[in-house]
Amino acid sequence: MRHVLWMALFAALTGIVFGGVAKGTDRQKLMYGLKVFGEFLAIAFILGWILYFIPLR
Amino acid sequence: MVAKGIERSEPGAPARAWVFAVSAWAVPGLGHFVQKRWTRGLLLGGVVWGMFVAGLLLGGHLFKMGGGDQGLSGLLQLLPMSANFGAGLLYIFCWLTNTGFAEQAQRVTYEYGNTFLLVAGLLNYLAMLDAFDIAAGRKE
Repeated sequence: MRHVLWMALFAALTGIVFGGVAKGTDRQKLMYGLKVFGEFLAIAFILGWILYFIPLR
Repeated sequence: MVAKGIERSEPGAPARAWVFAVSAWAVPGLGHFVQKRWTRGLLLGGVVWGMFVAGLLLGGHLFKMGGGDQGLSGLLQLLPMSANFGAGLLYIFCWLTNTGFAEQAQRVTYEYGNTFLLVAGLLNYLAMLDAFDIAAGRKE
């Protein structure tokens, strides 16, 4: 569970910066930051499930 | 005729834009503060500082060139060191005090720490470019 929290924190902080440096109105920046946050989480979960089914050991 | 279709290049950025960019790199957030962009400076600077400190607390380690690397293998350190170097004086302070360069691979959060430290520097490069663009009038 702790790993998920660190990953979520990483995604949130990165989303803040990406949204902060983006061009556009404040609302557009907010939406972009949220989009980046969501994409980080979604990709991490998808990759996590793919790796779960690959027998690496 | 041909010259008509070619757009004129933008005039060069003012010298103060370069100064603000260097200050943004040196102290995360400072490049925006000196331009009175308080909220943006607080957000961007706060994230970089937070990620850097969190990375150290998680057991991550900073990269540097040289040391005991043989031959060209030292070059492998160049890219991650460049990323770490983006944190500006934070990195230089750690380098001077030899803080954060020891590997702590036994810790569970070691890889998280490395990632946080690397990305803190990379995000500060973005913040630095943002401060430069604002000072150059390319961005509001």
